[in-house]
Amino acid sequence: MSIGSPARTGASETAPQAPDRRWRLPDMRIPHSGLILMLILVVALASFQTDSFLTTTNLLNVLRQVSAGAVIAAGLTLLMTAGGMDFSMGSVVAVTTAVAAQLIAHDQPVWLAIVVSMAVATVLGLVNGLVVTFTKVAPFVVTLATATLLDGVFLVILEGLSVSVGAELSELGNGTTLGVPNLLVVAVIVLAATAFVMRYTVFGRDAFAIGGNEDVARLSGINVVRAKLVLYGLAGALSGLAGIMLLSRLAGSSPGTAGLPMQLTAVAAVVIGGTSLHGGRGTVVGTTLGVLLLGVVANVLNLLQISSYYHLISVGAVLLIAAVANQLHNRRK
Amino acid sequence: MTSTMLDSITGVGGPSPEAVIRVRDVTKSFGGAAALKNVSLDVHAGEVHALMGMNGAGKSTLVKILSGAHNPDLGHIEVADRVQTQLTPRRARRLGISTVPQRRELVMSLTVAENIMLGDLPNRRSVVRWRSVADEARAALDGLGISIDVGHIAGDLTVAEQTMVEVAREVRRGGRVLILDEPTACLGADAAEQIRALVRRLRDGGVAVVYISHHIDEVLGIADRITVLRDGAVVRSGVTGDIDERGLVRDMAGRDVVSERPQRAAASRDVGLAVRDLSHGRSIDGFHVEVRKGEIVAVLGPAGDAQSRLFDLLSGRRRPDRGALCVDGRPVPLGSVSRALGSGLRCVTGDRRSLGLIPDLSIDENLLLAQDRLAGRRLHRSSALARRAAPLRDDYRVVSLAKNPPVGRLSGGNQQKVLLAKWLGTRPAACFLEDPTNGVDVAAMADIHTLIDALAREGVAVLLASSSAEEVMRLADRVIVVRGGRMVAEHEINGITRDELVATVLGGELS
Ligand SMILES: Nc1ncnc2c1ncn2[C@@H]1O[C@H](COP(=O)(O)OP(=O)(O)OP(=O)(O)O)[C@@H](O)[C@H]1O
Ligand SMILES: [Mg+2]
Repeated sequence: MSIGSPARTGASETAPQAPDRRWRLPDMRIPHSGLILMLILVVALASFQTDSFLTTTNLLNVLRQVSAGAVIAAGLTLLMTAGGMDFSMGSVVAVTTAVAAQLIAHDQPVWLAIVVSMAVATVLGLVNGLVVTFTKVAPFVVTLATATLLDGVFLVILEGLSVSVGAELSELGNGTTLGVPNLLVVAVIVLAATAFVMRYTVFGRDAFAIGGNEDVARLSGINVVRAKLVLYGLAGALSGLAGIMLLSRLAGSSPGTAGLPMQLTAVAAVVIGGTSLHGGRGTVVGTTLGVLLLGVVANVLNLLQISSYYHLISVGAVLLIAAVANQLHNRRK
Repeated sequence: MTSTMLDSITGVGGPSPEAVIRVRDVTKSFGGAAALKNVSLDVHAGEVHALMGMNGAGKSTLVKILSGAHNPDLGHIEVADRVQTQLTPRRARRLGISTVPQRRELVMSLTVAENIMLGDLPNRRSVVRWRSVADEARAALDGLGISIDVGHIAGDLTVAEQTMVEVAREVRRGGRVLILDEPTACLGADAAEQIRALVRRLRDGGVAVVYISHHIDEVLGIADRITVLRDGAVVRSGVTGDIDERGLVRDMAGRDVVSERPQRAAASRDVGLAVRDLSHGRSIDGFHVEVRKGEIVAVLGPAGDAQSRLFDLLSGRRRPDRGALCVDGRPVPLGSVSRALGSGLRCVTGDRRSLGLIPDLSIDENLLLAQDRLAGRRLHRSSALARRAAPLRDDYRVVSLAKNPPVGRLSGGNQQKVLLAKWLGTRPAACFLEDPTNGVDVAAMADIHTLIDALAREGVAVLLASSSAEEVMRLADRVIVVRGGRMVAEHEINGITRDELVATVLGGELS
């Protein structure tokens, strides 16, 4: 819930008789203020430690790197708000890169590669949705299974080798529009569109209703099955888009691209952003901040040439701190 | 909040030697608006102390303060002559304060036995002794004259049974204060009487009971002392003998409230809602009814009987074994929510928490949840939403401290009003209402009754499931009595008195 009541007069401050000795976070009337604070801290720390952080090149580079992740995080925010979950998005990204890379490497036109691989991604998302809605198996289980399965399919498609696409997609991957990296433009459009859908369309509000209480949503005339299928299909389609973005940035697909690790980062970003794992609550702004925070942390560790072992440690630590902060924030309200 | 408030400590009733709990000048605000203002009262051992007041008056907030769930902003409470500053639920429990909150708190996936013994499972070296669990739980229920199989899963019980289990759990844990927040709100006459008998027994044993109810005769019959809250402040506190019904209503509502059966024109001859041979397992068998347009037909039975299953079957949530449904003369397939909605039938659940409202969404959004979907809207703007929701809020007198908070933060009665407004605002062709005044105050009850009258006057066929004979007498044109899943009697309301009706429900007479 991001709507803080402006009229909070802080009754407890005027209460000498009932001192509340429990430890409290600073008053957070601004939504996501904890997250913003953390982001500022990390940025400040990074700029002190290394000069190369606060340069335009580096910052644009960070943004390019997080763009694909931001796109799947956007889809995941919508899905998780509706009480769903998809652990296979990172793996769908991987499969997309492999399918597109193979097609391009086999001299198919680029547009065809994009259309086919994104169609595949959408179908994969729909399959998740069909299994989840019609078998009623927990989405967590279904999509963890498909994630593992698709990671294998990915290796099969690549035959275990790296496949390069040369400069075919470099306009998307390296080009800029008015100085802004094209990848970033795509990510911003997707995030903005998702935010719009969640706030201003009945479909988006359906997601909140379904996540809040599925029975009530159904009884209120919401077509829950259709909504869920659309949401999972959308998750697949956005994974496809992220796959193309990633392929264009890396100029090829190789074992180790995307997959479960990418998914876990996306889940972390969404959860850090305050989206509820139980559904019913979520904001794109929070997710965006989560993506940025994780991206900046990774970048800083890189610049400081800290071993990649610490990368995992820091992502885990950030996730834990943010999750605890969210919880304390919610309890205060 | 200056010293003037603190000066008025002498307050209500005066300190009494045997008061187990003293509440002194308690003030509690949520987000700047006060839910309790300077409240003082004493709870005595061996007395039933009733709290009364309109929806949102602050009764449950006071209960939460007594049970340690909230801390007061100002003022304090004394338990056993000691000032308690940092009361927590644990500490309250240790001090002997047991609470059955308004919102039922059973672990729905565990058995009745485990729920009763929760936190206190008999064990030998940490290994649970299941036989003792069942035995002790059974003993706790038997002691209260409740017959529920302790092996049942709590979630499968009816709301009435869940209430009984929760009371049994608190009574078993013992203590000198028992707080019951609307224990009889969803119970039928017989179950409610059981609860009251139990309360009397405990009181005679020296327990202090804090009892909340919106039913005035119930309170006048059971309470030794009554405190009335209005807008968070105490407006009256005294022994029961000094207060009559009219005065009580005026204290609570700030005005007189009259709710009388209006003269309604005879219903039209067209059947608006017809149910034939509806059967589902053992819970309902061969139920049939024809409700004409503009007619209100009540289905009355013990809480948890056939009438509670009707919602699931008519709304399309569950498919019955057998049966047919006609709305406005057109057959409607059973077991499909969208077909039921499409036919113009509106079913209002009696279980607003799990089937009625979405607690995290705002009041306005809940009010228009169904209407917007039925109208096929695509875009959603919160300013337009507020404008369209405003008349509903006014008609149903939804009161909230903040402007548009999540509906879960409203008091229970106000949530009920939102639920009714959500459905009755969608121009129904026929209506099924389950316990529509569950937990609402006297004034709101009168309002809701008037709204249901109006619904019938507009020519809507209304089927009303109820466990309250009073409500049936007030609203219905015709009543069907069910027991054990079967229809046992049908009466025109003019041809029967309230007492005869109650006797029929209890099984005194089969006709
Ligand atoms: N956690 C909360 N946050 C914000 N407002 C709250 C909260 N709890 C209660 N309120 C508000 O405080 C007021 C008093 O609520 P309370 O639940 O005590 O009423 P009540 O007398 O028990 O009413 P009812 O008879 O409907 O149960 C209401 O206006 C309610 O909206
Ligand atoms: Mg209450």
